[in-house]
Amino acid sequence: MGEVILQMIDIDKRFPGVHALNKVSFDVKRGEVHALMGENGAGKSTLMKVLTGIYTKDSGSIVFEGKEVEFHGAREAQDAGVVIVHQELNMVGHLTVAQNIFIGREFKKGIRIDDKKMNEEAAKLFEKLNINIDPTATMSDLTVGKQQMCEIAKAISHDAKVIIFDEPTAALTESEIEDLFKIIRDLRKQQMAIVYISHRMDEIKVITDRVTVMRDGCYVGTLVTEESTKDDIINMMVGRIIYEEPKTKSRVSEDAPVVLKVEHLNAGRMVQDVSFELRKGEILGFSGLMGAGRTETARAIFGADPKESGEIFVNGKKTVINSPEDAVKAGIGYLSEDRKRFGIVVQKTIAENTTMADLGNYMKGIFIDKKKEKKVAKEFVDSLSTKTPSVDQLVVNLSGGNQQKVVIAKWLCKNCDILIFDEPTRGIDVGAKNEIYKLMNKLAAEGKSIIMISSEMTEILRMSDRIVVMCEGKKTGELRIEDTTQEKIMNLATRDIN
Amino acid sequence: MDLIKKIKENPIIKKLGFNRIVLACVLVLMYLILSLMVENFAGMPRIMSALNYVYFLGFLSLGVTFVIATGGIDFSIGPVMFCCALVSGYSLTSLGVPMLPSLIISLIVGLLFGMMNGYLVAYWKVPPFIVSMASMNIAKGVASVFTKTQSVSWPQAAKGGWFRSLVKVGKFPVGIIVFLVVAAICSIILNHTKAGRYILSLGSNREAVRLSGVDTKKWEMLAYAICGVLVGIAAIYFVGAYTTVQPGYGDQYNNEAIAGCVMGGTSMAGGLASIGGTVIGVFIIALLQEGILALGFTKDYQLIITGLIVIVAVYADVMARRRKN
Repeated sequence: MGEVILQMIDIDKRFPGVHALNKVSFDVKRGEVHALMGENGAGKSTLMKVLTGIYTKDSGSIVFEGKEVEFHGAREAQDAGVVIVHQELNMVGHLTVAQNIFIGREFKKGIRIDDKKMNEEAAKLFEKLNINIDPTATMSDLTVGKQQMCEIAKAISHDAKVIIFDEPTAALTESEIEDLFKIIRDLRKQQMAIVYISHRMDEIKVITDRVTVMRDGCYVGTLVTEESTKDDIINMMVGRIIYEEPKTKSRVSEDAPVVLKVEHLNAGRMVQDVSFELRKGEILGFSGLMGAGRTETARAIFGADPKESGEIFVNGKKTVINSPEDAVKAGIGYLSEDRKRFGIVVQKTIAENTTMADLGNYMKGIFIDKKKEKKVAKEFVDSLSTKTPSVDQLVVNLSGGNQQKVVIAKWLCKNCDILIFDEPTRGIDVGAKNEIYKLMNKLAAEGKSIIMISSEMTEILRMSDRIVVMCEGKKTGELRIEDTTQEKIMNLATRDIN
Repeated sequence: MDLIKKIKENPIIKKLGFNRIVLACVLVLMYLILSLMVENFAGMPRIMSALNYVYFLGFLSLGVTFVIATGGIDFSIGPVMFCCALVSGYSLTSLGVPMLPSLIISLIVGLLFGMMNGYLVAYWKVPPFIVSMASMNIAKGVASVFTKTQSVSWPQAAKGGWFRSLVKVGKFPVGIIVFLVVAAICSIILNHTKAGRYILSLGSNREAVRLSGVDTKKWEMLAYAICGVLVGIAAIYFVGAYTTVQPGYGDQYNNEAIAGCVMGGTSMAGGLASIGGTVIGVFIIALLQEGILALGFTKDYQLIITGLIVIVAVYADVMARRRKN
């Protein structure tokens, strides 16, 4: 390990309703892989976004190569040699690999783009990284793993000194992860400083030199990986939070009535012949890698995207669902992973969002009965313990966990019996996360039936009564919680790919 | 800065809207300055002339407020207004249709154009900009074909022109009352009915509203239909004030109506709309038109100035949103 190349000192950042970073410090040395860990919403990604200038910090300082710096946007950071490999890949599908790598700084011959030179340069990069990808291939034809390799090649081509990997393995299969680690080790040998964001404990032990843990936007501590155990790290991550006990046994008997039955559902490449049943009072986990088709399945069931074929039975009755309107009428509510885009109207108040799906019941003649609306919203604020000064608060001012509660209130207000939670705790801080878990368990106990899509293994194991595993658009297996292990799920989740 | 913050948080001011108060002050200030600069500006004839402008522009602006609230835009309102006035006027003067049905024809023509725009935008997903550009040409064409490219003169008050009492009776400006009542109705629709709630919500986040099980297409189309009817009313007030209409015109009023609306605090991004703001905005635009003429400039300067106002108002809106993020 070399000297410290990058240092972040007492970084502070607030968003409306959330203290996202509370005096966080972090550093990384040349030739080191430094893990940045923490539960969802702990502030890892925010810290890196502050570093690369995507967010501006409220206070604190960043020292890079001995000089205090402030980047105004990813471009400036890139030029200085600090690059980020994002969780979601930023590639233009219809361009070639080489065109993507050199996008925005194409080689030119006069005014024409010199594709030949770009292909040669890209090939050189791949050689340096020991990757076998054809620079002239079209990006969208590559697997997610290969696309990520291209993203790394692009990062290197910027003459990077610090590379940040933001949950790089979320969408990768075991063998792709191996390839990725090989590359990371090579980069380390070349004295690159690497920040590795992840919450997969096993990877941390394998690939990193030091671990820094964050929690609730605060810096908790830094450990040398070799000298610490998994438990040390987990304790730092979880801290005072005691989660709901993991389930060891399903609470739902096998002859509980089936409330939702999906048969041979097809919707594009991502949903192929999916069939399953959901029982009353059950939490049915949907597990799989990123891009396994779980969200697409949920959206197709809910009528948000068109189906090609397949039948849906609600409470034993065949139900045609061609739009969200039909689904809501059948008593199905969908809570999207992306609340800001698909869940709430941020410029509207809590009260207005609560009655969004059920406005018809809050009318007095042709006028909206705002008193009644506020009353019901207040009831849900109380029963879900949503933290807000009043129901007239704009939803944009709430934290992630409280926004999620507003979405839950919307569906409870409509009296939906089947709820599809898509990544229910994404972007929610740790304390609120447990509240959401409790709430979901309570709803299930009250007889609501829940489909929970989650990419967090711990969440799946902690919450589900039964687990459906998907891979590349197909259902690859179904497990009862009694005989589920993490290994079994991983095997099913990568069955088609390997 | 603290003082401004304090003022902004005063409950009465919050209710009226800080921006609208500032806008109203601008209106009063403009009026005072023009009165000082131009002799007789404060006199009745000028006021009546400005009011004539307020009426038709006001209805256009109210209409387009609904469309902009959905996050859309309508560049056809001016020519559609002319089309309404020409089709109904030709029916009245050349086809022998009585007065009242003629006025209703005007509303229906407006409604049809609004429904067409709304249908294409909401159900076929054609971008509003393209739809309204196309229907602007269609409106001009229809009007020309229908009237055989002749201008139409509506009757004067003396000869069966009773509809002009919708504009004024004697010296009393009836129009202002009608305009304010319609504006109040629009405000109630926007803030107290299902239609308004969904129009604003879908303007703010269409997908979230659709995924709540709401038929967003229907409500989006309704916004354009409401706009169409208001354009039909605008046509009646245009001929009520100026009598004669000529086919092939009307474009300039698009900009003025949109300027009034955006200046009043309705966001071009959708989801935020203020009828009160639109009303004040329209008064400012009308006063400006009158002022420019009174100061001795030609009509061409009006075009330049409204163009600039649109840019400044939209830029201010964009900046305000960027600050919020």
